[in-house]
Amino acid sequence: MKLYDYELSGNCYKIRLFLSILNKSFETQTVDFYPGQEHKSPPMLALNPLGQLPIIEDEGKVLRDAQAILTYLAAKYDETGEWYPLQDPDRLGEVAQWLAFADGITGTASAARLHDGLFYDLDVEAARAGAHRLFRILDEHLWFAEQAGQSWICSGNHPTIADIACFPYVILSEEGGISRQDYPAIRRWCDRVKRIKGFIGMSGVFPTSAAA
Amino acid sequence: MNENLQHWYPVASSNDLPLRHVYQGQLWGRELAVWRADDGFVNVWENRCLHRGVRLSIGLNEGRELRCLYHGWRYANRTAGCTYIPAHPADAPARTICNNTYHAIEAHGLVWSSVEPMGDFAVPEALEGQETLALRPIPVKAAPELALKHAATYRFSADGSAANDTSVEAKEGGYVLLSADGAQMMLFVQPIDADRSVLRGVLINPTEDHLALLRYHNSGLSALRDVIESDAAKLPTPAAIEVSFSKVDADLAAMPERAKSGPKAELRVTVAQKWLASDGVMGFRLESLNEQLPTVQPGAHIDVHMPNGMSRQYSLTNGPGEQDHYTIGVKLEPKSRGGSECMHNAVQTGDVLAISAPRANFPLRRDATQTVLVAGGIGITPMLAMAQTLKAQNLPFQLHYFAQSEAHLSFRPILDDLGENLITHLGLSPDETGVALRNALASYDYAHHLYICGPGPMLEATRKIAGDQGWPEEAVHFEYFKNVNTIDDSSSFEVALARSALTLHVPAGKSILDVLQENGIETPSSCEQGACGTCLATVIEGEPDHQDVYLSDSEKASNSKILTCVSRSKSKRLVLDI
Repeated sequence: MKLYDYELSGNCYKIRLFLSILNKSFETQTVDFYPGQEHKSPPMLALNPLGQLPIIEDEGKVLRDAQAILTYLAAKYDETGEWYPLQDPDRLGEVAQWLAFADGITGTASAARLHDGLFYDLDVEAARAGAHRLFRILDEHLWFAEQAGQSWICSGNHPTIADIACFPYVILSEEGGISRQDYPAIRRWCDRVKRIKGFIGMSGVFPTSAAA
Repeated sequence: MNENLQHWYPVASSNDLPLRHVYQGQLWGRELAVWRADDGFVNVWENRCLHRGVRLSIGLNEGRELRCLYHGWRYANRTAGCTYIPAHPADAPARTICNNTYHAIEAHGLVWSSVEPMGDFAVPEALEGQETLALRPIPVKAAPELALKHAATYRFSADGSAANDTSVEAKEGGYVLLSADGAQMMLFVQPIDADRSVLRGVLINPTEDHLALLRYHNSGLSALRDVIESDAAKLPTPAAIEVSFSKVDADLAAMPERAKSGPKAELRVTVAQKWLASDGVMGFRLESLNEQLPTVQPGAHIDVHMPNGMSRQYSLTNGPGEQDHYTIGVKLEPKSRGGSECMHNAVQTGDVLAISAPRANFPLRRDATQTVLVAGGIGITPMLAMAQTLKAQNLPFQLHYFAQSEAHLSFRPILDDLGENLITHLGLSPDETGVALRNALASYDYAHHLYICGPGPMLEATRKIAGDQGWPEEAVHFEYFKNVNTIDDSSSFEVALARSALTLHVPAGKSILDVLQENGIETPSSCEQGACGTCLATVIEGEPDHQDVYLSDSEKASNSKILTCVSRSKSKRLVLDI
């Protein structure tokens, strides 16, 4: 399997993180996303006409979009069947709902980070306000999940790819000027994600202590 | 002076603080790092490491210590004292390195704090003795005064039906008491900054279905938040509160007072518990009368001043972050000169003792790839502190404990927690002990460290075996109970004190320490027999005549340090950095 990868991309990190959790080996091909804009070059556009990362090639199949790749990897390589619960319509629906939510986080928190870190020209205040709107929803959801004795975004006792899809741009939000101080339930969930076996970090994502 | 700073406010919910988490809070512009230690204690600290100012809320709650993510400085539960600096692994951090802390009281599902409290925390009257339920806190982008004004407009009903008429009682200190058809709630406004607040509701005697109540009020208070925020949006945003932080703690910035001569006894403790820790060893749990006890570092000892006027040094067995008491173990010496006899027989539970603050003259490195601890008899006490520290951090170590018999193993509950890291050697002859030590020390490798505490002959034997088997001197650390060398004080010489611009004559029969103290040079000391290292001084010129058991052979050979209580001078003149 090959991942077209950019070190500082939260969406590429989703894939690296999930492959690490699945303990699945892969090779990477570094793409000069910034400042080279290689993802907009003709060879890359041939792989993904949207001109975005990540992209994977696996046994001849080319797949784009972080959430789509997570879905594919879970369905194909997760032997537990827990990360993408194909047999459980209720939870499967929840996963799809929160994968779409993760796209919203990318559109806001990640956009603010691109503005601050890689000098993208966009309305950063709107991006930050949008991220805060989503974080309020996520915090409330996770707070009541905790009250019900649940640790993860979707119901059940095991994390799903929805957690992996939402985590990177939440944990990197401060690089876009979005504090998580108002979201204590999100901060606790971040600790729990960091304690998943096989967890790896990236630049700007730090480890947490071992559980008690 | 803002008198609001003197009020107590809820700053977190109890369930914001699961084990091994650091909560990020704020009160009147001051950022807080709030964390619960494994012993349940809630710490509210200023949210910055005093080393480089990095937020401690991204640090690691390791249960007993909080580790800064930047340079790994570790701070103890309760005291916030620094216990370890990775860049200086062989040294004990100064006791004055201590993070800034705020008061913390946990009550009714909330954690309360205050910037500059006037008086002790008192639970608001309406909550006292009542069953309560803390609601989900709701952050609001609005000034605290505005949020408080709106808090009085919150309407609710007891059973979650349509909101009823609510009576409102405003209270001083940032909260309102609301009543609706028999149900009561308090709504607190936690001031985050000039333009930010948190609504924290507490239900009084809530009905059975807590989850339904939590959801009902969450949606009610969220709607209230939207009203407050739309109101706030029409007003100019107040400027953020400017907080001026002292660059360093005042104690750190000021020149320390000249140390008083002789053993210190600045702390008063009660004997909270006295028990037989093993055959012939009495354990003492010492608790402070009022103040927080100073930070303990592994390997530290205290001076205990006894009712009979004697003072003795005892190592603390405390694990990391155990800061609500000190524990020592005292072995009854058959040839007691009065010290251990007094502790065993005269000192009783409930007695008050004077003790010194802990001194870390036997520091533990935490960067070894393998640590071997060797304890003989009552030498187990500092090793227990070290072993618990290494265990808590998951660092590889072995504790070899030599004792006469099973009945002589002290502090069993701590030993039992060490699991496979503990290897006991019971009832061995001196020859058998040698064999056991040779096996234990068979494989020295780079970054291995050995710590030894026990009776003199065993300590000598262990040091020799370690040396024979390739352990370099700098990897071998030891602490003697006492100095059994016969002190030769027949020489006389001159001591020049470089900083004090004073030259003194040391006659035969008197120690350097005696002469310093007679001449008004304040010099700390503890055991005064060349074992503990408290009176250590730096030698600038001259050749010391070392008679102590604290310095290693190479430290002695370097002629750069001297223990002034027993060591003397071979040269006519000795220049000290005092």
